[in-house]
Amino acid sequence: MDRDAIERELLAWMRDEPGRRDDARFEHLALALFAFQFRANAPYGRFCAARGATPDRVGSWREIPAVPTGAFKELPLRCFPAERSVHVFRTSGTALARRGELALDTLELYEASLAPSFESFLLPDLAPGERLPMLVLAPAPAEAPDSSLSHMFGVMLERRGAPGSGWFVREGRLDTDALLEAARGAATSTSKLLLCGTAFAFVHWLETLEGRERLSLPAGTRVMETGGFKGRARELPRERLYAWIHDRLGVPPERCVNQYGMTELASQFYDSVLREPGGRRRKLAPAWTRVLLVEPESGKEVREGEVGAIRIVDLANTGSVLAIATADLGRRVGDGFEVLGREAGAEARGCSIAADEMLRA
Amino acid sequence: MPERSSPADVRAARERLLAAGAPLRRRPRRERVQVLGRVLERFRAPESPERQRLERELPEATGFSSATVREGLARALAPFSAAALEALVERELDALGKRRVAVGFEATAVLLGGAVPTPTLPALAGPLALGSPVLARSSSHDPVTARVFAAALAAEDAELGAALALVSFPSDDDLALGELLATPCVVAFGSDETMAAVGARLGPTQRFVRHGHRLSLAVLGEEARGGKDLADAAAALALDVALWDQQGCLSPVAVYVLGVERVPDELVEALAAGFAEAARRWPRGRVLSDATARFAVERDTAQLRAAAGADVRVVAGRGFVLVAEPDAAFRGSPLQRFVRVHPAPSAERLLEAVAPLGPHLAAVGVAGLGPLAGRLEPELAALGASRICPLGALQAPPLDWAHDQLGVLLPLARLADIEG
Repeated sequence: MDRDAIERELLAWMRDEPGRRDDARFEHLALALFAFQFRANAPYGRFCAARGATPDRVGSWREIPAVPTGAFKELPLRCFPAERSVHVFRTSGTALARRGELALDTLELYEASLAPSFESFLLPDLAPGERLPMLVLAPAPAEAPDSSLSHMFGVMLERRGAPGSGWFVREGRLDTDALLEAARGAATSTSKLLLCGTAFAFVHWLETLEGRERLSLPAGTRVMETGGFKGRARELPRERLYAWIHDRLGVPPERCVNQYGMTELASQFYDSVLREPGGRRRKLAPAWTRVLLVEPESGKEVREGEVGAIRIVDLANTGSVLAIATADLGRRVGDGFEVLGREAGAEARGCSIAADEMLRA
Repeated sequence: MPERSSPADVRAARERLLAAGAPLRRRPRRERVQVLGRVLERFRAPESPERQRLERELPEATGFSSATVREGLARALAPFSAAALEALVERELDALGKRRVAVGFEATAVLLGGAVPTPTLPALAGPLALGSPVLARSSSHDPVTARVFAAALAAEDAELGAALALVSFPSDDDLALGELLATPCVVAFGSDETMAAVGARLGPTQRFVRHGHRLSLAVLGEEARGGKDLADAAAALALDVALWDQQGCLSPVAVYVLGVERVPDELVEALAAGFAEAARRWPRGRVLSDATARFAVERDTAQLRAAAGADVRVVAGRGFVLVAEPDAAFRGSPLQRFVRVHPAPSAERLLEAVAPLGPHLAAVGVAGLGPLAGRLEPELAALGASRICPLGALQAPPLDWAHDQLGVLLPLARLADIEG
């Protein structure tokens, strides 16, 4: 099965029945894609071969070797020549830190993957084609062309954004006055509203509202936030962020959705709270992805309920690598999972500075 | 000390200490220093109850293996003698002469951090030597050392013992932290984020002595690249990395091999042998799962680079990883005994590669530099290293080490010039 055939089948899946979890279909496509990437992505192929994981030996998607996220900073992990790249998304970086890159030779599958999840988990109460104002606490794609987050917001704003939508990070700064003005306007003119952006941008906005303004946004408002606080002067547990959002914006925690995503992946994972009101908060995976929780050193799956490192198989990563190993910890929750912060109660164990912290400084 | 101190507990302890300060300051400095010297000697003595208690309780509390704790304490406490304390006082305070006086603050708050136990001793003794009572928050990763120090101090001298209070509360208890920080002098150990958060809560007249996170490096010169000298350097490096499982700011995270375009295979093999032996003698301790995940990601990334054809060699041993890099560009480490070895064709290339680390540089351990030492060492100091020492001695800093370029006692004191 060549890549075109795999993508055709994936596009049909995403278009026709995006919510249908089909294990046999997933297995079949995962093994076909692995066989293709083993051949077409030379560094990945050699990495797999060195581990004895060749297409003829790998019999299940669970056995597909995962590439650590850090590898995207080191190697061009793509299945096509560089000159065919139409878009490159990059992780954030500093003077010392290399930036991870995801090169794409087509955006069709990437966008086909992101839209159903966004709509299913953030807009479940909207009729097909219905639009709502989207206030985005992130830069517009024109300002941050290599940001996968801005790209995602751009695609969705174009498809589902109503008049009154806008971008509120400009020239690297959150325009809190304009955002407040837009939110005040929305509070009186609409019944449904989406506020979306990075968690840190929300914290920055909430700080400016503290002691100054308490909004009462419409009951149909939903908040989507993503990203962590590592390296920021202020770390805030998610529960406290949501309580703060409730206090200042009037949006209750059950309408706040965390998105777990990364530049290296085409697909994203969202909290279930809007799609399943009243159910236990957990992240649900799109049908064309699978999440494993593994012991980091051995790569073996942990038992039910145990904490493990998150490993993702994403069929939408056709042009790079479908299996990604992260340094994030998670735990299985029913049919989904939760992403955990640092080890419970963990302050730094020593006075040395680990690589990621050093390189961010 | 209660398991968890309430904000009221912290306030009461602070007020008690402020009252204890006057008699403490009235005592001659020499007396205070003698008491503290005797306390340090208790910790130095391998058979003392204090040392035995640390060796017994720290492995469980900190997660370090027993052998690591034993070796780490033996090496780090050896320089902490009564004579060294007196020499430190003479060097930093007596040398000021009669015209300038150094006085301790009415009280000093000390926010201890991390699992490495040995910085706790000078952190608590310093303000007391100056006559400043100490209100200390124990580290959640090492609740033992401060407690043992307090008991030893009380046993030596009731008045000094009463001038030290320990409190314990979670890092997100803002009210308790606020009470702790309501002291005129604050000393904090922790991450850059912690330093920023504490600094933001202090007033303009408060003294803030910050010890943020740092890292150390090792440099192997030409004279340590072969034969017995190489084996010795490998053993010394492995010891510096193994102690405290690379968690301390004095733990090297990268090694630069001077005068080579490529790290020689035999050097990688010698280092691997040294690390394997160190792992046998001082096994790695408990590793939290988020740290294990970062360790695995970095290890697998290095293996992928090697598989992809980069000139990267990876030695993944039991409880350690060595990565021989193709160039001098710094890449950092997830710690837990993960070291990168870089070629540095020239001193200039080395300095260029480590220059961006300057603000976070603690120490550089060196071996076999030969005549280059006289030129290179001042350059490393100029970059930001506050200590340059022989490899193998990184984990045993002298008591008067100018920690973070600050000195030990002077940052904790008010200075006044008396010109009459």
